[in-house]
Amino acid sequence: MPKVILTVPFSLMLLALPALGQSALRAPSSVSAGSSFSIATSGTGTAMLYLLGPSHVVKRAIELGQDLPIAGSDVVASGWYQAVACESGGCTSTTFQVLPSSPARLRFLVHPSRVPVSAPDAINATALVFDRFENTVLERTNVEFHFFSAAGSAFDRSVPTVRGIAWLQIGSTSKQGPLRVVASVGEAAEARIIQQVASEACGLRIQAISGPRTVKLQTDPVRDCGGNPLPDGTVVSFTKIDDAGRSTVDTPIRKGVASAQFAVSGRARISVACGVVLGNEISVNGERR
Amino acid sequence: MTTKLHLACCLGVLVPCLSLVSFYDVAASPVEAGSLPRVRLNAESIGPRRIEQKTGEMVARDYAQAWQDLADSLEANRTDLLNDHFAGGAKERLTQRISEQKKNGLRTRYVDHGHQVKAVFYSPDGGEMQLQDQAQIELQVFGGQKMIYTASTTSKYLVLMTPGADRWYVRSLETVPDDAF
Amino acid sequence: MRRALPIFIALVTGVLVAAGWWRAGGFALHAERSAGTAEQAVRALMADIQARNWDHAFATLDHANGIQEPDFIQEIAGTNGSLRTYSVLQSFDAWLLHEDGNHSTFRVRMNWSSAVGSLDELRDLSTVRDGNVWRVVWSKPNYPKVPLQVLPVNYLRWDVIGRRSDDWGAASVDSPQVRITSMNAVERPDRVLILGEVENEDTVPAYVNVNAALLKPDGSSLDEQGSFDAISHKLLPKQVSPYRIDFPGLRLSQVKSVRMDARALLVPASADPVISVENQSIDKDVVGRKVLKGVLVNQSGQTVNIAQVLAAFYDANGKVIWVSDGYLDQALLPQGPVPFAVSIPDEVAARVHSYHVAVNHYIAPTA
Repeated sequence: MPKVILTVPFSLMLLALPALGQSALRAPSSVSAGSSFSIATSGTGTAMLYLLGPSHVVKRAIELGQDLPIAGSDVVASGWYQAVACESGGCTSTTFQVLPSSPARLRFLVHPSRVPVSAPDAINATALVFDRFENTVLERTNVEFHFFSAAGSAFDRSVPTVRGIAWLQIGSTSKQGPLRVVASVGEAAEARIIQQVASEACGLRIQAISGPRTVKLQTDPVRDCGGNPLPDGTVVSFTKIDDAGRSTVDTPIRKGVASAQFAVSGRARISVACGVVLGNEISVNGERR
Repeated sequence: MTTKLHLACCLGVLVPCLSLVSFYDVAASPVEAGSLPRVRLNAESIGPRRIEQKTGEMVARDYAQAWQDLADSLEANRTDLLNDHFAGGAKERLTQRISEQKKNGLRTRYVDHGHQVKAVFYSPDGGEMQLQDQAQIELQVFGGQKMIYTASTTSKYLVLMTPGADRWYVRSLETVPDDAF
Repeated sequence: MRRALPIFIALVTGVLVAAGWWRAGGFALHAERSAGTAEQAVRALMADIQARNWDHAFATLDHANGIQEPDFIQEIAGTNGSLRTYSVLQSFDAWLLHEDGNHSTFRVRMNWSSAVGSLDELRDLSTVRDGNVWRVVWSKPNYPKVPLQVLPVNYLRWDVIGRRSDDWGAASVDSPQVRITSMNAVERPDRVLILGEVENEDTVPAYVNVNAALLKPDGSSLDEQGSFDAISHKLLPKQVSPYRIDFPGLRLSQVKSVRMDARALLVPASADPVISVENQSIDKDVVGRKVLKGVLVNQSGQTVNIAQVLAAFYDANGKVIWVSDGYLDQALLPQGPVPFAVSIPDEVAARVHSYHVAVNHYIAPTA
């Protein structure tokens, strides 16, 4: 019995030896990004402190038994950090979390940069909310979206973030021109411009001025169904079929209209198209060649 | 001394010694060359845009590759290994982390035991995808040959991925509190 | 002894030169250049053209029709940066069509090696006996005479300025929106082809590439190819181009599905030149092949150095059943008509209900 009594405490003492000799670290469970704080230490002597974060590593000699000041600049990235103190007898560690601070920045994505008018749900605006250190703000925050059209109309939407993201979809207006979109949260704001452009040609019509051997063709002002003129440079295709065969020319709109000229032999049928939209067809008579 | 006393003494010495040795000079198990971390992607609750089959496969593959690159770069202290699958803030943060740990004589080993990933946001234009990742990671930090820290944790990550020409990039990779999701 | 060595060296040199001349086909070339027969005259002319010996080639022609040397050289060697100026006659073949005592007609197939690949030209050449020598009668080129005029050009031009920002989320401009409006997979004896049309739906010019992947029943890729030059790459707003993608050596039975991919880039562009395609008709060429022929007219004031014709053929349901393409080896001078012809497979021609021709153009940058 005395031998057992002697053996157990002896073993326990040996087991406790490391604990008696080693230091301990205590940090707050969480801190706000960019905020300075202290890590409490126990023990005596010097040790090497390693502070390991998602984007930052600090290594410095410390005195055990004193509070360690940690600068805010060492904890700007949110996430889990490890503080490790190593001395001759071994290393001890603690972990703590850095949480994002208040919303201060926005990443704002708007698609597309050009959109046809009167297109439902064609515009997508997505805003991501960050703190001033580019950490995603997870707390629910309202993002304000402001829309300003060239026609002078304006409207607003407020969308709460989910996991740092707020998004919405709206249709384009009926008038072409720039649509300015501003997203804001707190003091932070970002603006983008969407060009609303005319959609497909509507009511495409050609008129002809016939000569004995040629015919000059010109479209009416090419507009979409909302009355928006198609931009200059848009290609209009003219096709003529007569005794000499088929002739085609792709010509761009200039000053709102497209024009072409064909030599005509006999009776000719002339049609016009813009993209996949067909216009009217006319017949003209020319001298047979 | 009796045999039992001898045994008790030996155990009494051996056990503390073992506990000390586990922080030092433990040979790391070699990582299987060419193997990617296991990533299970669940896209059932993704919105507002649905994810196409091929896109989902690509995202899972590129995310796994990103974690492999992350582990390789942190262990080898090479920032160039981040170029293929990281962009933006995630790349900047990891680059800074690697530069600073290298400067301080440290290296980090990630032993990746897999990721349970849930895709939670896919923008209507397909330009951004947000993932929630519950990852089983064994983290080991070495100062020279000496291991100064080790931990085996289940960590939660909030990830933002964006499409490139032929792959998806990790643009943001942030650990979040356990109650975040 | 002192003279023997130089004489010996001279003799050896002469023998070596003669051997080299003989080895290079000198005898055959000499035979071709002596026009004792009509066929020899034709072959001699082709040999001169192959050797780019224009002066000798012109000298051997019959000049009774008043052909001028500059016109002959301009036609055969090319000018104005045309495709012909970047071409060499690789090979030729000539066969007799008919002959009588002092006249004969040959058909010559010339194969030109050009910057865009191999181009074939068929030409009928008449020959006439002049004493003991036969001479080729080269048709006098008929270049259009365009009167002096001032042509205002005020078509739109698009420039792309600035640089795409590396900052994610910064303001940017989207790539042009293009759409594949039709796709048809057809099989030929030696390949599978994907045919169709693509439209630039946007309001800015686009540089377009169309790629296709043929997929096996298990979903894996059998082959992937692009349209290369069987497409009009630069599309203005609302412009439509046919495309053709070739998969040599494959059969449709191997293909479960097709994955299409149209990529568009924002590029600077000009709406000028406008090129009309006139008097199009399907006919037969001199060897009986079905061709779509017509005339291109450059309506602008700038020379188009190289033009390519792309023709889409539709069946009665409006489906694209074939896409042909061909390069013109002549430059398109302003207002000057230039004929073209692109071939159509006979079995396709039988089903053609209508067609549409698009013109690709290249204008060399001016210094």
